[in-house]
Amino acid sequence: MVKVKLFATLAQIARKRMVEVEATTASELLEKLSQIYGEEFRKELEGGMIFLVNGINIEHLDGLNTPLKDGDTVSIFPPIGGG
Amino acid sequence: MVEGKAEKPVYIYINGDNVEIRDASHVWGKLVSETEDTLRKEVGVDRARIACIGPAGENLSLIAAVMNDKARAAGRCGVGAVMGSKNLKAVVVVGSKGAPTPADREKFMQVVREKVNKLRNDPVAGGGAPKYGTAVLVNIINENGLYPHRNFQTSVFAHAYDQSGEAMAAKYLVRNKPCFACPIGCARVNKLFYLKEEVEGPEYETVWAFGSDLGINDLHTIILANHLCNELGFDTISAGTTLACAMELFEKGYIKPEELGDEPPLRFGNTEVPIYYLPKMAFRQGFGAKMADGSYRLAESYGHPELSMSAKKLELPAYDPRVAQGLGLQYATCNRGGDHIKGYMISPEILGYPRKFDPQDDSEGKIEMVKEFQETTALVDAMGLCIFTMFGLWIEDYKDLLNAFFGWDLSVEDCLRIGERIWNLERAFNIKAGLTKADDTLPKRLLEEAVPEGPHKGSVCRLEKTLPVYYKLRGWNEDGTIPESKLSELGLEWYK
Ligand code: SF4
Repeated sequence: MVKVKLFATLAQIARKRMVEVEATTASELLEKLSQIYGEEFRKELEGGMIFLVNGINIEHLDGLNTPLKDGDTVSIFPPIGGG
Repeated sequence: MVEGKAEKPVYIYINGDNVEIRDASHVWGKLVSETEDTLRKEVGVDRARIACIGPAGENLSLIAAVMNDKARAAGRCGVGAVMGSKNLKAVVVVGSKGAPTPADREKFMQVVREKVNKLRNDPVAGGGAPKYGTAVLVNIINENGLYPHRNFQTSVFAHAYDQSGEAMAAKYLVRNKPCFACPIGCARVNKLFYLKEEVEGPEYETVWAFGSDLGINDLHTIILANHLCNELGFDTISAGTTLACAMELFEKGYIKPEELGDEPPLRFGNTEVPIYYLPKMAFRQGFGAKMADGSYRLAESYGHPELSMSAKKLELPAYDPRVAQGLGLQYATCNRGGDHIKGYMISPEILGYPRKFDPQDDSEGKIEMVKEFQETTALVDAMGLCIFTMFGLWIEDYKDLLNAFFGWDLSVEDCLRIGERIWNLERAFNIKAGLTKADDTLPKRLLEEAVPEGPHKGSVCRLEKTLPVYYKLRGWNEDGTIPESKLSELGLEWYK
């Protein structure tokens, strides 16, 4: 199981901040989440996102093909700014 | 330009072309909101705008801010003490002339509409920022492992969520309050049920400075501490992190419990600390007097300046530079000291704007990005725009705005050149004031002690690698001075 932490609008749509999902890649995980949380969630992801595996952005790993394994923590954010 | 010093407290009243220096004895010692209300009533013009200092500035605290609209601050570098040193409590302005006229009004308004639309449709500027405010950053910075905790002893905080923008929206938020004419509207108005009035803020930096950095997860305390800073006229980053430094000095036994007597123990996590000590700092009473001039003076007075998390004696903001190498370079080279907003590398290193960089990347490409960010920000600042527009706009957009307003034909390179000129002029000023390469540095902890946990465990800020490359890219000498040829290239040969 992969531990998934959702933030901001994504947590709001899912009505959950944390969920456990079985998935072997980042893209498979996103597909599963969209199935569970529906069209609104999928749309929100399409607007862009920040996807971390154990605190490292998948852009610096293998993108959506980044492999996931049992016990990994994934954090997903919509596009965010501030400062 | 305000020169000299008044004999007794005064304020300056500007109404159109009319300028008066008026007595301010009756508001000296007063909090910021009362000062604003009193002076606005006194001049009898509701739309008068006021910049003033609170007790912190009057008592020449080196971390005092200049406040305007009650809760907005020109916070950093102790500018409040400059007003205090002149006995100048406030500047009250009533404008009577219109805004300057663009070269081609129609064209300018068309470009403005285009850029405002771009901001409105931007997922950050038009979405996340107004919805959750700047504190939406708390979770993402913490998950990336660079949310400093307990005076930068570590950079992950287990209870970060409790103080995040999401938690604030759920628990205390009443509404947004955009600054004048802003299409983004990130600012927050919160309500604590027992206070008659609503309070503004806190922003992300403040949440961190009074939260994670003090080991406090309680958002209620943070909101109150922010409100106290606004009323007393303190820079929230410097005030919070000075307390964090004091807590580490106390934890390590350098500040002895006997010294505090009956005042609250400076333990990490003690929520009484900010609420009790902020007023004491502003009025220089009790142990507050020791902390009134910021963390560097405090730590130095105990013989441990290395425990002040500052650069050029200005307290560092809410991101650990051991994780974001570009930001570490920005902290060390920023002309006004340890500051994030003059080159907000978190944007490319963590958030992905204008393009994504690996935070640990310390190659020349990253260092070029630091330079470009510093240049662009200097331009945006000089235009008088909010730097949060930089989440949706970039140098081409600012070029379009400038060209449309002035009827110019600047290129992107010309615009970057304007920023570069500003950056170099500031640097030249600092050099004249006695700063050297030795000041372009960070606290020893961040250069030598590895991050103890999180995704970037084991990392330090690799300034020894990035700084020489940065000097080279800037066309400066190895010792950080600016060659005369560079000054003349920028048209700054007159500045000696
Ligand atoms: S001007 Fe800047 S700080 Fe003020 S509300 Fe707009 S985006 Fe926020």
